[in-house]
Amino acid sequence: MASNALQYKDLTPAQPLDKATLNKMVWRSCNLQGSFNYERMQANGWLYSILPGLEKIHTNKDDLSASMQHNLEFFNTHPFLVTFVMGIVLSLEQQKADINTIRAVRVAAMGPLGGIGDAIFWFTLVPITAGITSNMAIGGSIAGPILFLVIFNLVQFLVRFWLMNWSYQLGTKAIELLTKNAKEFTRAASMLGVFIVGALTSNYGGTTVKLEIANGDSPIVIQSILDGVLPKMIPLFFTLLLYFLLKKKGWTPVKCIILLIVIGLVGALPFIGLF
Amino acid sequence: MDFNAIQIILVFIVSFIVAIDQFDLLESLYQPIVTGAIIGAILGDLQTGLIVGGTYQLMTIGNMPVGGAQPPNAVIGGIMATVFAISSNLDPSAAVGLAVPFALIGQYMVTLLFTVMSPVMSLSDKCAENADTKGIVRINWLAMAALGLLFGLVCVAGLIGGNALGDTLTAISEKYAWIMNGLSAAGGMMRYVGFAILLRMMLSNDLWGIYFAGFALATVIGYIDGLGGSALLLIAFVGIAIALYDFQTRTAMKSAGLGAGSTGGDEDGI
Repeated sequence: MASNALQYKDLTPAQPLDKATLNKMVWRSCNLQGSFNYERMQANGWLYSILPGLEKIHTNKDDLSASMQHNLEFFNTHPFLVTFVMGIVLSLEQQKADINTIRAVRVAAMGPLGGIGDAIFWFTLVPITAGITSNMAIGGSIAGPILFLVIFNLVQFLVRFWLMNWSYQLGTKAIELLTKNAKEFTRAASMLGVFIVGALTSNYGGTTVKLEIANGDSPIVIQSILDGVLPKMIPLFFTLLLYFLLKKKGWTPVKCIILLIVIGLVGALPFIGLF
Repeated sequence: MDFNAIQIILVFIVSFIVAIDQFDLLESLYQPIVTGAIIGAILGDLQTGLIVGGTYQLMTIGNMPVGGAQPPNAVIGGIMATVFAISSNLDPSAAVGLAVPFALIGQYMVTLLFTVMSPVMSLSDKCAENADTKGIVRINWLAMAALGLLFGLVCVAGLIGGNALGDTLTAISEKYAWIMNGLSAAGGMMRYVGFAILLRMMLSNDLWGIYFAGFALATVIGYIDGLGGSALLLIAFVGIAIALYDFQTRTAMKSAGLGAGSTGGDEDGI
């Protein structure tokens, strides 16, 4: 369960991370989705990717543990643009910013990158390169697949390395301005983070019910009635319910997951047909 | 057409690696244009491999894993289509059709793994509590290996069982479709646990309005066709505006001496 610590014990800023550590983390970021799961998505892979930096920054075991715990919370961003979030978050970790600030900045930075990355990689780079090289392959040329791999990975790694270095510098510069108003900044960052989580609840929330009540030729579709009251009502309901169970009832995440699996399986039973 | 042991082992190794590659590593080796050529070379017919891979690649370009959705698995699709094109002398589109049941099983494997990995996160939490960095690394690699193993087994089964196995798989997947439906529904809901954990830590009581404002804006934008990709970026602009306004107001108040300590401010006279 996530730690409740709000500040690191050792508040002296750590030495800036060297190029070698930054580059090591870029390579690790390739396995961001290694332990992808439905609950926290890329969280474990995210922590795996930034660990070399965290180990250099937090020489104190308690602080390393606190940092690892909050970096294991829900995380999802575009896999090719993740180094942008890594650079910013590591610059905040290095300056020992408030944990809530780091958390909020992380959440605010990860969300918008998905659409940008899809537009660059899946809608532009892959269709163009794969379109051309596929026709070479169909014509029997082995250069097709080779050229595809070379172009795609050249772009991918240029983006990964450049974003890491750029955003780390950017974050380091921005912090000097913000330490004067650290309390106000933490509050503003939390506002942005909460706003984004609200948006994610709707944007990532896709749960719908298939239930229909027989009514002659025009069956009553439960989902459209729900949408008439409030679209995305089910994602909102579940998020608030789970928040209540976690915060007020002290449930563990595993208990929540078991509840959801039971709801999913029971709801999917052929004679119930909820999902 | 029979395959020898070396070919079967090589196909297993290739499926193992590209299965992981669909989410990790180079995230490009798994594309049918690449797997078609590699599998073709292993099975002794590079030409057919290139043609099937290229054809299937063109089919999938309009079907990318956008926004976290799972398309019928292109990794197994590419490998099995090449296998069937070579073993049964089929043209590429017929071979792709025969690969569909295997691609469906591949998709089920992914759903299962992502479901099973959710409770494993509590193990990660334990590692974090103990500052056990090796544990986090181990979980990441083990999950990758599990995915590779599952896909490797499906592809080898397809290689040995041939397209007759496809019919059996279709029958099985129809029979148990409801279980997979239930697991995908549960999988789709598990992210709410992730959101709830974030809120538990970030949401102070005076920020509830902000949470609902974000939800409302995203829902409105969600109903506008054509904003699917840019939705969260647009939402971030609004969120940044709100946060920045709050930041500027509070720092201005502080420098004017109206910050903490003099809570009355303008309303003193009321």
